[in-house]
Amino acid sequence: MPRLLKMPPQIVRLVLLTIGILCVYFTARFFLTPPSFGLHGHYRFDALHDMASREPYWAGKAACVECHTDHAAKLAKGEHKTLSCETCHGPGRAHVEDWAVKLPKLNMSLCVRCHEASPSRPQWLHQINVHDHYTGNLCTECHVPHQPNEVP
Amino acid sequence: MSENITRRAVLKNLAAIAGGILAMPAARTCKAGVQNVLASSNAPAGYDPFQHKWLMAFDVDRCIGCGLCVEACCEENAVPEGHWRTWIERYVIKKPEAGSGKTRGETVVDSPDGGKEGFPRLLIPKEEILKSFFVPKMCNLCEHSPCTQVCPVGATFDAPDGAVLVDKSYCIGCGFCIQACPYGCRFLNPETHTADKCSLCYHRITRGLKPACVEICPSQARIFGDLKNPAPGLENDPLQQFIAKNKVEELKPSLGTGPRLAYAGLDEVVR
Repeated sequence: MPRLLKMPPQIVRLVLLTIGILCVYFTARFFLTPPSFGLHGHYRFDALHDMASREPYWAGKAACVECHTDHAAKLAKGEHKTLSCETCHGPGRAHVEDWAVKLPKLNMSLCVRCHEASPSRPQWLHQINVHDHYTGNLCTECHVPHQPNEVP
Repeated sequence: MSENITRRAVLKNLAAIAGGILAMPAARTCKAGVQNVLASSNAPAGYDPFQHKWLMAFDVDRCIGCGLCVEACCEENAVPEGHWRTWIERYVIKKPEAGSGKTRGETVVDSPDGGKEGFPRLLIPKEEILKSFFVPKMCNLCEHSPCTQVCPVGATFDAPDGAVLVDKSYCIGCGFCIQACPYGCRFLNPETHTADKCSLCYHRITRGLKPACVEICPSQARIFGDLKNPAPGLENDPLQQFIAKNKVEELKPSLGTGPRLAYAGLDEVVR
């Protein structure tokens, strides 16, 4: 102690100031570091739960199939079996929660989006040149979307 | 110095140490109180990240370039206009010039609006095209992710279940991770001013749903699965089946980032 006191006063002040700053820093860190930080790595583990707590936007095919078993069974037989209901019908969460909410009617642009011919598209996909194929408005005049291999 | 130690001084010091020890629980309680105020978590229980390992695989020959996955992702995650968490690239490889002695000509790649609205008609005439295909892209879920290594604040990290996530409340928006990602999978969200990227639809997969892009893909070009919980009997698990039946490869394996996304049917021009 006496040795420290013999140090020049400006050095003593500097040492005290440094100790003070460190004390403030460690106190702040003690209180402000989230409890889950560093639990499983250099990150806040609770962030996983934060991210998981958001509500989904798309309902998922399982939710549709719960009620529309007939349509699902029909779909499973045809070439469109790999499609999810919402791929064509759009987001259905509102409808799942309240049946009074109806999904919008579909139009032809949806069929064309996948089936318009393009040299980039794989060979296995049925492709058409829309303008040569049909000049009307409704693909459903000749095709059944739920069972593409059937004729209406 | 030593002859100056008195009984009084010793007792004083002992009292101070005892006081300090007694103060610790009080400080802990105080800390818990402060953190309860700061905490933002309202976690849905029942999901243990240590019991899962998610992986996505791509069947390039199945991708028809409709762009519905990109649209689904943008809607699911409210991705701002002009940014994409997943996107589709259209590759066009031209025929080599006659007599050049090469196997292929120029490669043209485009991705208008990430493929969100589908792809416009090709301007390159069909006769000039050697081959053309679509490649879906997204976060490569790297084993040694360079993006998480450069984060100065611990805001982005490899979750134990294989997802690479961004903690929005911790991110300072410095953009180091965006530069570090060799796949260009990250962007600075202009609304939150934080780094943003594919979260594997973390809020969906923790609820037993598929990620939005996988749910909406009409042709099963994206195969999603849990390596730690395959469907009973392995041969029923679509992901395991896909990897068993196809010759799969990763993007830019030479960089040592350990990308985990498995691609089947890639051409050598795809980076």
